[in-house]
Amino acid sequence: MAKVTDMVLLNKPGEKILLLGNHAIARGALEANIAVFAAYPGTPSSELTDTMAAVAKDAGVYMEYSTNEKVAFETALSAAWSGLRSMTAMKHVGLNVAADTFMSAVGMGVEGGFVVMVADDPSMWSSQNEQDTRVFGKFANVPVLEPCSVQEAKDLTKYAFEISEKFKHMVILRTTTRSSHMRGDVVLGELPDEIVNKVRRHGKFEKDPKRFVDIPAHSRNFHPKILENIEKIREEFANCPFNKIEGNGKVGIIAPGLSYAYVKEALSWLNVDDVKILKLATPFPVPYKLVETFLEGLERVLIVEELEPVVEEQIKMWAYDKGLNIPIYGKNIVPRIYEMDTKRAVIAISKFLGIETPINFEELDAKYKEISSVLPPRPPSLCPACPHRNSFFAINKATRKKAIFPSDIGCYTLGVLPPLNAVDTTVAMGGSIGVAHGLSVAINGAANEETYEKKQVVVATIGDSTFYHTGLPAIANAIYNRSNILVVIVDNEITAMTGDQPNPGTGETPHGVGKRIPIEDVVKAMGADFVEVVNPYDIKKTTEVIKKALEVEGVSVVVSRQVCALYRVGKARKNKEKLPLYKVNTDKCTGCKTCIVTFGCPAIFWDAENKKAKIDPTMCWGCGSCAQVCPFGAFELVKEAE
Amino acid sequence: MVAVKEYNIVITGVGGQGILTAANLLGWAALNEGYKVRVGEVHGMSQRFGSVISYVRFGENVYGSMVPEGKADVILSFEPVEALRYVNYLKEGGLVFTNSRPIQPVQVAMGLASYPSHEQIKDIVENKFNAKYISFDAESIAKDAGNIIATNVVLIGALTQTPDFPLSPESIKEVIKVSVPKKAVDLNMKAFDMGIKTAQELLK
Repeated sequence: MAKVTDMVLLNKPGEKILLLGNHAIARGALEANIAVFAAYPGTPSSELTDTMAAVAKDAGVYMEYSTNEKVAFETALSAAWSGLRSMTAMKHVGLNVAADTFMSAVGMGVEGGFVVMVADDPSMWSSQNEQDTRVFGKFANVPVLEPCSVQEAKDLTKYAFEISEKFKHMVILRTTTRSSHMRGDVVLGELPDEIVNKVRRHGKFEKDPKRFVDIPAHSRNFHPKILENIEKIREEFANCPFNKIEGNGKVGIIAPGLSYAYVKEALSWLNVDDVKILKLATPFPVPYKLVETFLEGLERVLIVEELEPVVEEQIKMWAYDKGLNIPIYGKNIVPRIYEMDTKRAVIAISKFLGIETPINFEELDAKYKEISSVLPPRPPSLCPACPHRNSFFAINKATRKKAIFPSDIGCYTLGVLPPLNAVDTTVAMGGSIGVAHGLSVAINGAANEETYEKKQVVVATIGDSTFYHTGLPAIANAIYNRSNILVVIVDNEITAMTGDQPNPGTGETPHGVGKRIPIEDVVKAMGADFVEVVNPYDIKKTTEVIKKALEVEGVSVVVSRQVCALYRVGKARKNKEKLPLYKVNTDKCTGCKTCIVTFGCPAIFWDAENKKAKIDPTMCWGCGSCAQVCPFGAFELVKEAE
Repeated sequence: MVAVKEYNIVITGVGGQGILTAANLLGWAALNEGYKVRVGEVHGMSQRFGSVISYVRFGENVYGSMVPEGKADVILSFEPVEALRYVNYLKEGGLVFTNSRPIQPVQVAMGLASYPSHEQIKDIVENKFNAKYISFDAESIAKDAGNIIATNVVLIGALTQTPDFPLSPESIKEVIKVSVPKKAVDLNMKAFDMGIKTAQELLK
């Protein structure tokens, strides 16, 4: 179990190691001789991005954390235009941000291979929706490749570069939470000399306005070319080495991507082996030739597909035109919502074949439902010592909770949970400021209108990385249009939720020190009516500053700055620094529960026997905020000798 | 290597307890013993002190990364209620092996939910799900070994002693040795052996 960077750069072809799906994709990109990588982190794609950042210097790859997915897309795209192999990575909703460039650039083609890795999140383990990127690929006419294992994640990445270059067409490599965050055995391939010798490659851009300037006269030539190309790629995919027909039987199952793994497992669990399988790594465009071969001799077919019926629609449309009269089952048996798993595959296949499931899932579900009332919920929570908790606590105090709280995408979204309850809306990255402005204009009007009247206070919260991502145009809009809102930028000096990536507020880059852009300077320059920086670990001061900001008409900004506790503690532990520790003085604790019902640090729990608050020493990270929250001074610093 | 068609471990606990590390250690040990391996994990928001489940599967052939409900040979849990939360993953006659110290969710502290008693958890696992339930204080053992951080190693050591567990303690130890900082090797070996010893007594 070596370091990830060592494993991904291990120059031993044939060696078998255990890799995370995202790490395997990084390795695949290196085996494909990638030269430029640019991305904005987003779960479940982040480990690919972080791995590329970690190995960039040692592999001769230019890598950047871009400020958002659109910029990242443009950075990588331009490298591909310059003849270099390049890649960008994002979560599914990141493609929405990049979509403007993505949709228009397809027809311009590429010179170097260009792979867009998009990680979907069926069941929404850490996302706001469960959109299916394969639909996006079909919409944009961009081929979509999808792996069924970690080994294939690596190999398919390499293949994606080859296809992209061969057809001068960008390619989507689509994963899901389960394929990105699955570890599996991988046999390494060869690393090219440039990567091994850390040779930084540079491109050359050949001017061609008819190709790279999308004025209508030029663009009209793109669409027919795109469609022609897709049909050529469809032909190519009939011979894709990752598409396979397996087994024999009168019934068939088509399984795209990771669904193939679940289907194989389900058949083995069901003890069924007389089924023909079409394993599909290319959900778009579906290679009709291969499907035709597969269908020979079959009486019925089931498509086991996660989320949207992307493969199903293509095959059914084609089959109708062909006059094929074979029953094709899909979304009438297989769920369209949430992620696929073995249980779902077993249930669908047993329905399709008219056989019993190996265990009675309904009985098991019923049994589990009976006991579920015993289980206390344990949703994720803000960490102990998290500065966001203090910011929300201060906002609650300053507004007496009598405000509307639009918030944003990040750890601080967890401020929605009790006891803070300080998040009323979240929609998408950067959405807090636009929504705050919209609500304020709808309820109060704009400050330059005659009918303006401040009826309702609106306080937006947004993180540092999110602010640079899409908060910037929103705050420019709010200032320009004379909004009356308070924006609290909860700046924990890192992109925390996705795994501590740097951003313009930190100034660090994978290649060294970049240029730090302080948030307060940006909003001052834009003309915000009030700007102050506070340290949320000082709750009293933070509350006072927020109160002051609320008195100002216009757009007020409070930058609440304190480094992410998880990041800080991780570093301290590595350096063997000892953290301070707090405890409850039971003589002073009155059992009023103020700490628990207004602050809610996970390190503080309720000792029901003695009716006092108690601190779990394994969870306390010593920020001392509890001592500021307690009205009776019951939280005390543990002295060294204790 | 004992030839095993498929072995399924579900690891549960509270985000931050070292669950992903434990899963990764077991995955590598299985790989080194020549099995096909899948480890399933969830990253991102759910890791923040929330309920966490991860999966380790190995055998002659494994495909998906998630253990299906009703198919886990063992649930290795870092926290009692988190073992119970995923008890439906356990196969008939399977085993729950858990650290005994409860971690109170904030909702419980706030009085919005209650935490089940040890007896209640054991009763549900044993009588409702026809499985075995063994809990022990792995944290104290880790502390005795030198550091509470080694709790996951104590639990893994103990796991190796459960009936029909296919991986050898030696192959897991080899992985731990190359995974932890050099200075921490002795401590972890001690914690692992103490876990083995505790389990041998518990399983007598």
